[in-house]
Amino acid sequence: MTSLSTPRCFWLVRFAARETAMDPSEVEFLAEKQLVKIIPNFSLDKIYLIGGDLGPFNPGLPVEVPVWLALNLKQRQKCRIIPPDWMDVEKLEEMRELERKEDAFTPVPSPHYMELTKLLLNHASDNIPKADEIRTLVKDIWDTRIAKLRLSADSFISQQEAHAQLDNLTLMEINTVREFLLDSLNCMYKLRSNLQPGSRKGQLTDY
Amino acid sequence: MFVTDIRKDFYEVVANQRVALLVAADIDALCACKILQALFHCDHVQYTLVPVTGWQDLCTAFLEHKEQFRYFVLINCGANVDLLEMLQPDDDSIFFICDTHRPVDVVNVYNDTQIKLLIKQDDDLSVPSYDDIFRDEEDEDGDGDDSGNESDGGSEPSGKRRRFDEGAIERRIERQRARREWEARRREILFDYEQYEYHGTSAAMMFFELAWVLTKDTKDMLWWAVIGLTDQWVHDKITHMKYVTDIATMQRHVSRHNHRNEDEENSLSIDCMRISFEYDLRLTLYQHWSLYESICNSCYTSCSFKLWTLNGQKKLQEFLADMGLPLKQVKQKFNSMDISIKENLRDVIEESSNKYGMKDIRIQTFGVHFGFKNRFLAGDMVHAAAALLESTERDESDTTDNFIKALDSLSRSNIEWLHSGIDLAKKKLLAIQQTVASCICTNLILSQGPFLYCYLMEGTPDVKLFSKPLALTLLCKYLLRAFVHSTRNKRCKLLPLVMAAPKDVEKGTAIVVGIPPESETSDKKNFFGRAFEKAAESTSSRTLHNHFDMSIIELKTEDRSKFLDALITLLS
Repeated sequence: MTSLSTPRCFWLVRFAARETAMDPSEVEFLAEKQLVKIIPNFSLDKIYLIGGDLGPFNPGLPVEVPVWLALNLKQRQKCRIIPPDWMDVEKLEEMRELERKEDAFTPVPSPHYMELTKLLLNHASDNIPKADEIRTLVKDIWDTRIAKLRLSADSFISQQEAHAQLDNLTLMEINTVREFLLDSLNCMYKLRSNLQPGSRKGQLTDY
Repeated sequence: MFVTDIRKDFYEVVANQRVALLVAADIDALCACKILQALFHCDHVQYTLVPVTGWQDLCTAFLEHKEQFRYFVLINCGANVDLLEMLQPDDDSIFFICDTHRPVDVVNVYNDTQIKLLIKQDDDLSVPSYDDIFRDEEDEDGDGDDSGNESDGGSEPSGKRRRFDEGAIERRIERQRARREWEARRREILFDYEQYEYHGTSAAMMFFELAWVLTKDTKDMLWWAVIGLTDQWVHDKITHMKYVTDIATMQRHVSRHNHRNEDEENSLSIDCMRISFEYDLRLTLYQHWSLYESICNSCYTSCSFKLWTLNGQKKLQEFLADMGLPLKQVKQKFNSMDISIKENLRDVIEESSNKYGMKDIRIQTFGVHFGFKNRFLAGDMVHAAAALLESTERDESDTTDNFIKALDSLSRSNIEWLHSGIDLAKKKLLAIQQTVASCICTNLILSQGPFLYCYLMEGTPDVKLFSKPLALTLLCKYLLRAFVHSTRNKRCKLLPLVMAAPKDVEKGTAIVVGIPPESETSDKKNFFGRAFEKAAESTSSRTLHNHFDMSIIELKTEDRSKFLDALITLLS
C-alpha cells in the first residue's frame, strides 16, 4: 500500500480500474497499524503476535504499540496515550501555511494523518493538549489538499491530459477521488472511441 | 456480614467469575449498575444483567440463573428481608448486596458465609447486637438433657436423687423464666429495629468509591454517582442533612477531577465532560423549559404560591413583576431568553423569593457540560431517566425495554434518549400538578384520624401514569406538601398521607403508597411498611407486597375499605 504514495501510483490506479473504491472504514482499519507511544499502568511481559512483538509493559514507562491496541487499552483505562510529534499546534500551523502556498502537494505529517487525528481525538482527547485547535488545523490541511486534488482531477478529465503527478498523497485522499476519477475516465474513453466510426466496438465492455 | 475491604472481598473475588447482576428499578440502582458495568468492561468480567421490579421478579430471576451462576450482585434490593429464606439457595451461592433500604434484616447482617453486604458499617444502621437476638443452642440442649435425666432416673427415687431432683427443677424453672424474659426483650428489640423504614447512602456512591479505590474512576462514573445521590433527594428518600453531607463528599471528588485536568496552557477539548458545583434554583427542568412553566410545575414554588387558587396566580404575577422579568421573556424557552436576564437570574430570584417566604429556593447540586450545547443539571437527568423508566407510552409497557432505555439515556452518547426523557418528564410534571390542583380544589384528601387519605378515581386524566410506584410517590409527596400549605387545621399538617390509585382495571387492583408526614426536620422514617402488613393480615385482604419498598403495596379494589378500617384502628 505504501507504493500508492509514489509518483508511479498513477499506473497502479489505472490498473485497479475494475475494483470499486475502498470503504473509508477499511482505510481506517489499515491506519490502525501505525505505531503510537503509550504509558501503561499495568505490567505485562512481552507478547508475541503474528504481526510482531509487543511490550514488555511496565507501569510508567513509555512503549510503542499499534493504534488499535492503544485505543483498546485507553478505553479500559489501562494507559495514557502520548500524542505523536506532529500533533502539535505550531507544527501543524506551519504545514497548513506551506500547503496553502504550494500548488503541488506538500509532504504529509504521517501517511494516515487524517485517520489518526480522528481516532486519537475521539477516544483520547483528554491526553492531547489543545485538541480542538488541532482538529481545526488538520481539517484545514485536509480541505486544502482535497481542493487541490479535485482541481487536478477536474483538469485531468476535461483537458484529457495523459498523466498527472500525485506524490505525497495519502491513501484516504486518493480514496475519496478514486471512484469518480476512474469512472469518468472510462466514460471519456468510451465516448472518444465511439467517435471513431467502425472501430473496436465489439471489444468494449459496457460499464 | 459487612464487607470491610470492598476491593479485596468483592471486586477481586468476582473479577474472574461470571456474575449475575440483579438490579432494582430505581434511578440510584441504574446509576450504580452503570458504574459497575463500566468497571466490568475495563476488566472483561462476564456478567448478566437482570432488571427486577419486585420480590417475585427477584425469585424468578434467581431460579432461572442459579444453575449457571455462583455469584449474585443485588443492587438496591434484598437487604431488608431474610434473603436466604426467601430464595432457598444452594450452599455455594454467594450474594453481594448493595442496598439503600434500611433496616437491614438481622439474618443478613449475621450470616457469615453466603451474604456479603456492600454497606458501610457506620451507615446509620444501629443493628442490635448478636447476643440480644440469637441464642446459643447449647443451653436448650442442656435443658433437654436435664429433663431427660430426670425422667430416666424417676423410677429409682432415693434420698440423694430426690434432693437432686428438687434442685434440678428449680434450676429448670429459673432457666425457663430467663428464657421467656430474653425472648420478650428480643421481640421488643426487633420490633423497634424493624418498625421504621428509611434509606441509607446511595448505592451509586458506594460503587463510585469502589472505582476510586481501584483508581479507575472517571468523570462519567462521578457523574453517575452524583445522579444516584440526586435521585435519593428528588424522591425524598434521605434527609436534607444527609444530602448536604453527601454533596460535600462528592464535591471533594469533583474538585479532584477538575484540578487534575484543567491547566492554563493545555486546556481541555470542549467535548470533554466538565462537572461543576452549582448552587442552583430548585425549579425542576427550568433550563429545558420556559421559566414560567417551570415555576408553575415545580413542587416548591407551586405549593408556596398556592398556584391552584386565583390568589396564587396573582401572587405569581406580582413575583415576576417584582423581579422585573417581562412576561413574554419568562414564557419563552429558557435558552432563548435574553442574555441580560439570564445573567444574574439566580440571585434575582433568590432575593425576590425571600420576600415571598421561600427561603430555600436554591439548592446545592452539580451540573455537567460537554460539547457546545449539552448542559444538564443532576436533577434534570433524574427526572428524565425516571420518566423513561416508567413510561406508559407503549401499550405493552415492557419493563425490561424501559429499563434498558433509561439505562442508555444515562450515557453521554445517547443524548436523543435523554431529550425524549426530558419531554416525558415535562408531561409527567404537568399531570402531577393538574392532579394535585384538582385534588385540593375538590377536597379529595380526607383525614381519617391517624393519617390523611386520598383515592384517585378511575376516570382521572393521566391516571395510568400514577399506576407506577415512583410516579405515585412523587405525586404523594407533592400532594402532601400542597395540602399542608392549603389547610388551616393545625393537627392535619402533622399527619402522614396514604394514597391509592387504580393499577390494573381488568384485574381490579389498586396500588397503595404511604409516606411520612411533611416537616422541616423530618427524618423520613416510614412506618407504613409494617402497618400495611399487619392491616392486611388482620383483615385477610388480598394484598401483594411485591415492591422492595415495604410501604408500597398492591391491593384488590374491593378490599380497599376494610383494609383502610383496619389501618385506622391499628394506628390510632
